[in-house]
Amino acid sequence: MKEHTQKITLNSYLDLAQLLKRYQGTHEENRSFGLKHQEDSVSRLQKWKEKYLYKITDSLDSTSYLHYLTTFTYMVSFLFLLFGLITGFTLLSYSGKEPVNVIYLLLVMVGLPLLSILLTVLSMYTGNVGAKFFNHFSPLYYLEKIINFFYFSKKVDLSHFSLSSKLTKWIFLDRLQLFSFLFALGLLISLLLTVISKDIAFGWSSTLEIDSLVLQQTLAYLATPWQTFLPTAVPTVELVELSHYYRLGEKLESSMIQNADKLGAWWKFLAMAMLVYAIILRLLLWAWVHFAYKRLLKKEFLRIAGVEKLLWEFETPFVSTQAQTAETHLDVASSKSSAQSDLALAYNAILGWNYSEEDLHLIVDRFGVNAKVVKNVGGKNSFGEDQAVIAEVEKAILVYVKAWEPPTMDFVDFLEELLGKEEVIKVDICPLGTSTNGYESQARDLQVWFNKLEKVDSAKLGVIDV
Amino acid sequence: MSSYPRFAVVGHPNKGKSSIVSSLSLDGSIQISNTPGTTQVKRGFPLKIDGEIVYELFDTPGFQRARRVYAWLEAHGRDVSADKRVEVVRQFVFEHKEDKQFRDEVELLEPILEGAGIIYVVDASKPYGAEYEVEMEILRWCGQPSMAILNLIGEEDYREEWTRALGQYFRMVRTYNPMTAGHEEHVQLLESMAQLKEAWTKPIKKAIVALEKLQEQKIESTVITLSDYMLEVLSLVHTQNIYGEEVSEEEEEEAKRKYREKIVAYEMDERHAVEKIWRHSDIQKQENALVLDEVGLFSEESVSIFGLSQKELILTGASAGAITGAGIDLLTAGHSLFLGSIVGGIVGGVGAMFGFDNLYEVKVLGQSLGKRELSVGPMQNLNFPYVLLGRGLYHASVIAKRSHAKRDALSLDSESFTGKIIDAEMRKELEKIHGKLRKAEELEKEEIEAYKKVIRGAFLRLLEAK
Repeated sequence: MKEHTQKITLNSYLDLAQLLKRYQGTHEENRSFGLKHQEDSVSRLQKWKEKYLYKITDSLDSTSYLHYLTTFTYMVSFLFLLFGLITGFTLLSYSGKEPVNVIYLLLVMVGLPLLSILLTVLSMYTGNVGAKFFNHFSPLYYLEKIINFFYFSKKVDLSHFSLSSKLTKWIFLDRLQLFSFLFALGLLISLLLTVISKDIAFGWSSTLEIDSLVLQQTLAYLATPWQTFLPTAVPTVELVELSHYYRLGEKLESSMIQNADKLGAWWKFLAMAMLVYAIILRLLLWAWVHFAYKRLLKKEFLRIAGVEKLLWEFETPFVSTQAQTAETHLDVASSKSSAQSDLALAYNAILGWNYSEEDLHLIVDRFGVNAKVVKNVGGKNSFGEDQAVIAEVEKAILVYVKAWEPPTMDFVDFLEELLGKEEVIKVDICPLGTSTNGYESQARDLQVWFNKLEKVDSAKLGVIDV
Repeated sequence: MSSYPRFAVVGHPNKGKSSIVSSLSLDGSIQISNTPGTTQVKRGFPLKIDGEIVYELFDTPGFQRARRVYAWLEAHGRDVSADKRVEVVRQFVFEHKEDKQFRDEVELLEPILEGAGIIYVVDASKPYGAEYEVEMEILRWCGQPSMAILNLIGEEDYREEWTRALGQYFRMVRTYNPMTAGHEEHVQLLESMAQLKEAWTKPIKKAIVALEKLQEQKIESTVITLSDYMLEVLSLVHTQNIYGEEVSEEEEEEAKRKYREKIVAYEMDERHAVEKIWRHSDIQKQENALVLDEVGLFSEESVSIFGLSQKELILTGASAGAITGAGIDLLTAGHSLFLGSIVGGIVGGVGAMFGFDNLYEVKVLGQSLGKRELSVGPMQNLNFPYVLLGRGLYHASVIAKRSHAKRDALSLDSESFTGKIIDAEMRKELEKIHGKLRKAEELEKEEIEAYKKVIRGAFLRLLEAK
């Protein structure tokens, strides 16, 4: 199971990319997942993907993309095999008048695959500049053209599938090796079938003045990989000389006809050349491409948009500072009451709430309001002392309060007791600002006092803003 | 009793207790009101690391009837020795648990009696008053480690007289303005809290380390968000079908408009993401219409504030020639399956250096089966990346530096933008990437990392700027 989850496939790549577009989880969830799964990055990502894949409610990109890719692979594989067979049979069609030209066969059966291998290697390891230059020589370019003929070409929108162009290139390079392998296999099968069913005379001919010995040495080089264990598949000088023919001769040379049985020996060389250069070399390249593709897939898997953040969240402790309980808050309606702006010239008593005696006298002097009784209440006074003041005062009373200090219930209790006294006919509350500001209160502070005093429902109560 | 440190933020009503808790808990959702008494019940704000509580802050209602409470305590504990006074307080809470008269006092005393340290908050922008002494006496009876915080709500400064008075009741007196405090002040306050009790030092230090990391995480997340956004917008290509052989003026204008709309939507998404990172999701914005709103992104005003000057542009090494290299396979570097050939010509041109008339390339793309598309982008204007980045950085820095205690609308205007945050070296680095994006080239991981590094540098400079 562990092996299975760690394996990165195109399927898992597409699923994760699609999932991350839809859902990335919260840091808290991802950290919790990371703590539970202390494994390597790839395994964690695979498990995370499996856990949340249900979040993708519509069809999976991987299902459609892989369906099209598989269909494309099967169809093109079949076509390439067929094309290989047809090409092989066409090249080997022997009329009996003229031998089959070995050089021509070698160019198609060995030269073409080798050129294709070279271009593949160039596609693999050239950057964008190289890719642009070789684009029109690359089999990939023609593969694109072939795809355009398929019924699903419009449905395969690569930008939709979150595949980088690099990865796309390698997906098709990988498949291209299969197609090339099948083409070469088709050629080899056609050669073997033709050899079994027909007696073919091979020969060679060239406009260039090629010496038989030079050609034999060149072919011997080509045959190096198998000459030790299959020497009969290496053309001899005698065979090369015997096989040389000239197109302008009306008939085949008499020596060729006399040695017709020997000319057929070419097929072993051709078969081995194809097996080694077109098939084995292709398989090796395929393995190389496949390995590089898998490595790139892993690299790209870790580069999917959102993966870096996800891995970071797996590793990074989640710090939360918020409250877990909902806030219970009291909404206080804003009072529409307004203050009187003038103080009466005289009151029966002036009280200073939370003021010191010294401060209260300064205020009385500042505003010039007279009263028989001037007392400070609240503050450090005991309840007994406040009770005594309430007992002493009557009729009109002015209470100075600190505007910036919001009225507490302690003040409201005192006020209610004062207002409850029958002898008290009027209580004016005068919120003052700080002495440094000339006792001028701020509108914001006054509003707070209005809001609170409005709840003390009494006709005796008034607010004065000096 | 809990094993982790707890702190009860207590005090007179309306002295900024909730603001301080909001700032320390990085929670912008706490309701803060000018009206006293709106916090009715205590509310815990645990700092958790991976679900484990490291410390907990309590926001509490303010004292409402402190004199009555103290009178009760004196009456019941006059002859009690200092070490037993906390039991008298406990008895008070027990006896008045259901008493509505003392609901606020019970709420604020409960966490203290459960072992919470006391953080007493006063407004030091207003004069000291003796009425506070009753509250401080009650807290002293609780016998818990305590400190006082001088909060400067207004513009005046009475810290000296407050410090003299508070020093007699509290082990430590610190100034902390939740409206302006940043990460450093937050950490300094926590360090002071760690000194209140030996057993609390370790967990608070742990919390400081976690908060330091959280700050780094936020910076890193912001950098990633900004960088991803920049790369996405600068490589954005908008395509839409066209119906005739050639693109009409209306079709071109419509495509350009949609392209711009997509960029504006990206900017909005980026801002929301940054606000979420810094936990300011509920923020109200009030942007300067000319500079930072959606229309402003493409305005010349934006260029003049956030863009580079002509001289700076030349110094970055960006030349008009560098942006006309769009050719075949421009979009996907030679491996563009299905979008291989361009049949139309380039309609739009190189963007103007300062104007925004021709910002992007407009092309007509053809496909083999005859479907035609109009393509707009990627952005070709040399200055646009700097405008985009400047706006993003500015918004992110304002959000990052904003206190969670603030409840006013966010004002984003250009006045406080420091301007020259991107030096020549940074511009050179940025231009390398911008050039590649203009050519729709794919970026290597190392290049993206280098890009992030420059953005990180610029963002840190803005964070450090006052």
